[in-house]
Formats: sequence, C-alpha cells, structure tokens
Amino acid sequence: MFLLVFPATLMVVVLLVLPMLGLFRTSLNLYSPQELMVQALSGENYLDALGDPYYQRILLTTIGVALLCMVLSLALSLAPAYWLARMRSRWKSLVMILTLFPLLVGNVVRAAGWMALFGTDGAINAFWRSLGGETLQMMYTPFAVVVATTAVVLPYMILTLASVVEAVPRQTEEAAINLGASPLRMFFRVLLPQAAPGVLAGCVLVFILSMNAYATPVLLGGPGFTMLAPAVYEQFVSAGNWPFGAALAFVLLSATLILTLAVSLFLTRSLKRRTR
Amino acid sequence: MTTGFSLKRLLFMALVLLAYVVVMAPVLTVIVISFFDQEIVSFPPQGLTLDWFANAWARREFTDGMIFSLQLAALATLIGVPLGTAAAYGLHRGRFPGRRAISGLLLGPLAVPAIIAGTALYIFYIRAEFILDRGVVGTMASLVAAHVLLTIPWTVRLVSASMEGMDMKVEEAAANLGAPPRVVVWRVTLPMLRSGIVAGCMFSFIQSFENLELSLLLVAPGKITLPVAMLNYLEFRIDPTLAAVGTLQILLIGVLMLITDRYVKLSRVF
Repeated sequence: MFLLVFPATLMVVVLLVLPMLGLFRTSLNLYSPQELMVQALSGENYLDALGDPYYQRILLTTIGVALLCMVLSLALSLAPAYWLARMRSRWKSLVMILTLFPLLVGNVVRAAGWMALFGTDGAINAFWRSLGGETLQMMYTPFAVVVATTAVVLPYMILTLASVVEAVPRQTEEAAINLGASPLRMFFRVLLPQAAPGVLAGCVLVFILSMNAYATPVLLGGPGFTMLAPAVYEQFVSAGNWPFGAALAFVLLSATLILTLAVSLFLTRSLKRRTR
Repeated sequence: MTTGFSLKRLLFMALVLLAYVVVMAPVLTVIVISFFDQEIVSFPPQGLTLDWFANAWARREFTDGMIFSLQLAALATLIGVPLGTAAAYGLHRGRFPGRRAISGLLLGPLAVPAIIAGTALYIFYIRAEFILDRGVVGTMASLVAAHVLLTIPWTVRLVSASMEGMDMKVEEAAANLGAPPRVVVWRVTLPMLRSGIVAGCMFSFIQSFENLELSLLLVAPGKITLPVAMLNYLEFRIDPTLAAVGTLQILLIGVLMLITDRYVKLSRVF
C-alpha cells in the first residue's frame, strides 16, 4: 500500500517541500546590485521588510482587505447558505452547480467582468449617469478590490456554511421557534452556534484566499494599490531582488498563519458567548 | 424562514438574491460584452455582433494560449489523477506509520498560496538549470510538473471522499472467487472509485486550465498559458475581444461541469 502512496508523496516533496525550503534559504541571502545574490545567513531582509514603512503599509493594506472581505462575505453568505441548506426542491443540485460555477471560472475572467462593470464607461456608471448622477471613479480604488475579492471568495463561504447548516436537524429550529424565539433570534442564537465549525472553516479559508489574492488587486487596484502577493512577484520580476522577495513571501505566509489563528480564537470565543 | 408571504420573507429572499448577483455579475458581464458591437466597451451597446469571436480566434496569443493551456491541463490531469487516486486508495486501505502526516502533506499544495509556490518553484528550476546544465524554466515538462501539484490534492480529496462508507470487502470477495489481482483492480476497484475519479479529473483539469498564479513566473515568453495571456492583455484594456475569449472559457468550464454532474452529483462534492 505504501508503494501506491509513494509516487504522489515524492512529487509533493520534490515540487513543493524542497522548493519552499529553497525559498526560505534564499530569504536569508543578501542582495547586491552587481552579483544579484550573495550567500549569507542573515535576517536583514526580514528586518527590512518589517521596518520599511512602504512594506508596512502594504502588509496593513493586505490584512485590512482580507479582514474586510472575510466579514463582508460572512454577512452576505448567511441568507443564501441557509436558503441552500434548507432547500428541498429538485432545483437544489442546479443551484449548487450555479454556486460552484463562478469558483471554477477563474479569477482573471471574473476580474475582467468587474473591470467592465466598474469602468468610467462601465455598466454601473452608464446606469448611474442615466439617473442623472456624476461619473463615479471606481476602478483602481480599494472599493473595487474589496468588492471583487469578496465576490471571488463568497461561493466558498456559501458552500461551507450550507454544508454545516444542512447537518443541523430541522427539529432544533422548530423547537426554538415553538418556544417563542423569533426567526432572527433562532438563527443567531440557535443555528449559528451549532454551525460554528463551518463558520470558522469558511472564515479561515476566505481569509487565506483574500490575503493571497493576486489577479484581482493587480487588475482592479491598479498601480497605486499594492497588496503583498503582487509585491512578492514584483521583487522577482522587476526588481530582481530574490532574497527580499523570498523574505516578503515568508512575511505573507507567517502573517496569514498568525492572523488565521487569531481569527479562529476570536470567532470561537464570540460564538461560544452567543449561546449564553 | 416562516412559510407564507411576509415582509421578512421578502427581505430574506432579497439578501439571497444580492449574494448571487455579486457572485454572478462579473461572469454575466463578460458574456454580455462579448457580443457588443463597438470596440470600446460602453453601455448601452450600439448593436450586437459575433465578430469578436472571430477576432479573438485571429489573435495568436489567445489561440496559442488556449491550445497550450488545454495541452497543459490534459497532461497534468493524465499524470496527476492516477498518482492522486493511487495515493488516496493506499491511504484508505493501508496501515502504515505516518499515514496522517502523508495525507496532510498531499493536501499541502492547497495550503500554500500559488504565487508563493510559483516563486519557490522558479528558484528551484533555476538551480536545476545550473546543475543539469540545460533549460528548465519555460519547458512543457517543468510546467506540467508544476500543474501536477495542483491536481494531486484535489484528486486525493475527491477520491478519498468517494471511498468513505464504501464496502471494500467486495474486492476480497472477487479475489476469493478466483479473480487475479489485475482483474480485481480493473473490474472491481476502479469502477467503485469511478465517481471520485471523474470528479477528480474535472477539478484537476479546470484547476490547471484556469490557474494563473502558479504559471506566472514559470512560463517563457512566446509560450504562455491562456490566463497569463489574458492578464497581460487586461493590464492595458478590457474589450469585447477579451470578453469573447472569456466567454469561450466560461462555456468550456460550464460544459465540463454539466458532463461531470451526470456521473457524480457535484452537490455532494462539497
């Protein structure tokens, strides 16, 4: 049986684990304009990445966008997740496919769609102007990035939440309603705490995806709005500073990890409090 | 939430609709503007046309990119799905130390952001070029290898899920009745895993086909994947030609999903 597992494991070790170790080793090297990279064992790149106000701002922007997208997608997904979970008609599998579909279409195509919606002559502005409004500047704003990223991650949240809500027996809801709880109270006090593991899993997944978004911030944020994943790529392609780019990659990875833990702790505690 | 028509119910359905509008709006917009008559996208359109599809077809970057991405996705699926299926089966049936660690490791490519995995692989390939003294970055083999990384976790996940609650004693029964191991594998085991394998193929193919971040650093000029070609184009403008390419991609993925749904209920995948 081990022989069956071995080839796939070898692939992942060679193509992911070893390169990641190599990337970490690179992050300890130093950059020199003449030789590009000088072998070293130094934490300088990390100190530079964390000490430079420019990269501090990028890190904070990335975290801010990711948290905002997480909260927005959670808020937007509650109603559809409940609707989907409790749906019993034969349309259910079609709705499931429709929810899954945008996920599989790919970020580039969806970003293109948002560009056509948000542009100066885009659909939203055309509609707004026909109502007599002034042209809105939406492209290349944080607003555009947050909306588009939320749209990218929303299906994950809906599907994750729906699957846990489905596992909560209907009788629980009916009991709460019969005991006089309003539907809203039932939802937030009874259903949501029981679905807590799903809320947590959804939030963590969505947070990680938003932290690492690439195509959406590049295309909708424009040159003036930088997030961390594009900044890593930039170091490799334009700046040619591999050690610093590698250090930025690990800053992004560790920030994601630390904040994921913080988000899980916060959510677990606040969801526990809700049941009291 | 209560039955019957009420203001609360209406509000609830409005919230459901809002979420689906946010999710579907960009996809529908791409499809709609691919039929717009004028080259600069503005609403409402002056007329409708199919010319942009011909125009997209005439642009080398898109046709080459489309063919290249299709080949890449097909090869990655062809290699990755058997590897992933074998691993999922071995992990499910086998009893050896480190099983949990290995199954975690195999899902690893999902946990590492693709842009970071891409940069790590780029450095790795450049080092390999020094050692092997031959070109690695930009070759088909190196890109296929990278994309196999995308297919393994999805296949392992989907095939494992399809084996949950499945009675594998049927295999023993077949063996006891005299079927040689090869026959057991082809006639019993693989048919039982079919739904997982089909779903694994679809997800693997689509993940590879639409992947941007992992390929970004690994492609060579002149030999780029479709998403990279689209990104390069979009950094200058959004026009109906690009929307036509996007529409074709949406169509392809939609058809693949519908075909797969005939074999496995996609609603059970998540």
